[in-house]
Amino acid sequence: MLLLTLWNYLRGYVIILVEGYFLERFINICTHRQIFLWDIKRRNNYVMTLKVSIKGFKMLRPVARKTDSRVKIIEKRGLPFVLHRYKRRKTFAVGAVLFFIIINVLASFIWSIEVSGNKDVRSADILKQLEALGVKPGTIKYGIDVNKIANKLMLEIKELSWVSFEISGTVAKVYVEERRQPPELVDKDTPCDIVAERDGVIYSIVVKSGQEVVKKGDSVVKGQLLVSGTIENQHEPGQKWLVHSIAEVKARTWYEESSTVNLRTVDAVRTGKVINNYILLLFNKKIKLPINKSIDFQNYDKVELKKVMRIGENFIFPIGIIIEQYHENMLVEKELSVDEAKDIAKENALKKLVKIIPYDAQIINQRVTYSQGENDVITANVIIECLEDIGITKKIGGE
Amino acid sequence: MARLRRNKNKSQKKDNKSDAGFREKLVEALELPKEILLDMTKLTMLGNNNLVIENYKGIVEYENDRIRINTAKGLIRIQGEDLKIKEITSEDIMISGRIGSLEFLE
Repeated sequence: MLLLTLWNYLRGYVIILVEGYFLERFINICTHRQIFLWDIKRRNNYVMTLKVSIKGFKMLRPVARKTDSRVKIIEKRGLPFVLHRYKRRKTFAVGAVLFFIIINVLASFIWSIEVSGNKDVRSADILKQLEALGVKPGTIKYGIDVNKIANKLMLEIKELSWVSFEISGTVAKVYVEERRQPPELVDKDTPCDIVAERDGVIYSIVVKSGQEVVKKGDSVVKGQLLVSGTIENQHEPGQKWLVHSIAEVKARTWYEESSTVNLRTVDAVRTGKVINNYILLLFNKKIKLPINKSIDFQNYDKVELKKVMRIGENFIFPIGIIIEQYHENMLVEKELSVDEAKDIAKENALKKLVKIIPYDAQIINQRVTYSQGENDVITANVIIECLEDIGITKKIGGE
Repeated sequence: MARLRRNKNKSQKKDNKSDAGFREKLVEALELPKEILLDMTKLTMLGNNNLVIENYKGIVEYENDRIRINTAKGLIRIQGEDLKIKEITSEDIMISGRIGSLEFLE
């Protein structure tokens, strides 16, 4: 029944009033002429209302004349009438169509590229490489061979071991997996020496193969020969053979970093006054809006909020707004106590050291010295003593 | 002669009658839809407020409280209140409203 109602609505129908004295005859003739009538209601002796399709209504006129009755439309219902009403509003229709076209056109470009999964390789490098391959914001997304791009990207950037490239909506998503560079190993059949990777004092040396050159307690410099792969025959001088040296050379190494902290610092505290400026973002072009105010703060910090029009997760359009928030700052002078300054300086120095000490080094000692210079500056000097394997293989005769 | 003719007429009439009976019996035996083959009216009622009459001939009278419909085997009179014709085509008619009585007038 619902389906029939819907069908009637789509086709369009009229509710009409029939006035006459031979209404039964009117209905009979209609049915004989295959005019479909429904919802017939008798109002009184000579009036009834009924529904008839648009097509049927056009065939009613001769029937009405034959039965000497009058037909009047009470109401028009259905989609054809709605459409007819909008036919005159041309601008509206054009606007609707134009909107649809614009959305479709805009959705067929790539407007945003998201790079994820990278740690050491910079996103900017990946983006640059993608641009060289012809993918950048503003590229038409059709005709891009996704697999080809992923493969080429992997070939171009050596540090990547796996690349996934996909376009969903207007967003190109790049997911990369980085390769861990394998240490350069010398093949175990190739003769080699062992040399020092960095400066240090030899703590222990265990040689499995090769001729040791240094002994415990020797201080060595970077690149110095520790274990030689060239072994001379002690009985017959001049005769020698080459071996692949294997040894564990542990040495004490030192790492030093220093950091300075000023006792008197100036802190910026927000006063709470904010000026918002708006910049329209259109196809990567920034358009300053004329409503923007000038900044008359003496000291301020700026926060940029970027809002881009997007529908759902994957449809980003090249229209957006940048809100620049200027927060007024008040400068507050602050004096640190010597102990506080020392702590901060030490903390900063340690942070620097963590980055340079190798992962497998064993820390055995830590020494911190402080010094107070002119202008109330505290300097922390941190020396960390480590125990680590400093031997690395080096091919004999190689560079 | 005249008697003979009358006799013949009689036999012909009888023939017609027996033919109709035969058809009915055949349709019944084969379980075929009667309303199509025997030009019978099929009435379907849903409670007292919905009536579908299939294979009718025409409307004779249509008032709010009374509808008379012509069929091959006479008139059908429906009496009730607020009677409406929900749908009407050349084959069937759907009546809704509170139906009080349904009569067959031969």
